[in-house]
Amino acid sequence: MKLQRAQRRTPPESIIPLIDVVFFLLVFFMLIGRMDATAPFDVTPAVALTGQDMPGGGTTLAIGEAGQIALDGTAMTRPAVLDALRDGVVANPSRLIRVNAHHATPLADVLPLVAAVEAMGARDVVLVVTPDTP
Amino acid sequence: MQLARPRTPPRLISLVSMIDVLLIMLVFFMVTSTYLNLDMIPMAKSTDDGVVGADPQGDGGVLLIRLGADGQPYLRGQPVSLSVLAARVQGNPDLGITILPSLRADTQSLVSLMDTLTGAGAGQLRILQVAAP
Repeated sequence: MKLQRAQRRTPPESIIPLIDVVFFLLVFFMLIGRMDATAPFDVTPAVALTGQDMPGGGTTLAIGEAGQIALDGTAMTRPAVLDALRDGVVANPSRLIRVNAHHATPLADVLPLVAAVEAMGARDVVLVVTPDTP
Repeated sequence: MQLARPRTPPRLISLVSMIDVLLIMLVFFMVTSTYLNLDMIPMAKSTDDGVVGADPQGDGGVLLIRLGADGQPYLRGQPVSLSVLAARVQGNPDLGITILPSLRADTQSLVSLMDTLTGAGAGQLRILQVAAP
């Protein structure tokens, strides 16, 4: 007579490590990601090696290659952008204004806009650049 | 005599719903995030008294650089390379530099010029824009 040994039940795998890993990944992506409105057209900033770290917050003024303008991700006409910026600058002159211009955009579409923003009294106007080759 | 009712063990809360929500949030952040490595170059920095930028009249003199429509820098009417400009600026941080760019030049050429000058140690940089009549 052959006796059968009772089969051992494998214990169920714990899902606690899975939850830990998912939590870590979730917190990681939430911390390093910065919610920012992107322009409705292609904007590849110019390359610069001496750029400074860009702080968060502020208003982003995107300028496309053909001179299209978007303010915080919304395409606008130039007068509408200037009106909106004027309201914002009057309310808070220290608010950072980031000019995100395409690298091939003629300066005729960039410098007059920067000068107009500066003339409104904006204290912090910066040009967005990228340290890497696009 | 009081009869004690046996306590029913508390029901375990299922973790499956929480894991579902976590995974959905994780996938959302992974899919919607765009990772851009961006820096900035200050274009205007004013103080409360309204003074904007640095004094272009540096103690080390003033250098006027014209940026052509093709992105070529010119010094005293002669085309110069970025390396020559960098050598000219190096060791003279008090040199006031004024850039007069053509409005037909592209943004990259202006940024490259400013990048070269800043990398060479230029401390006083100003962009001059001629207003249209």
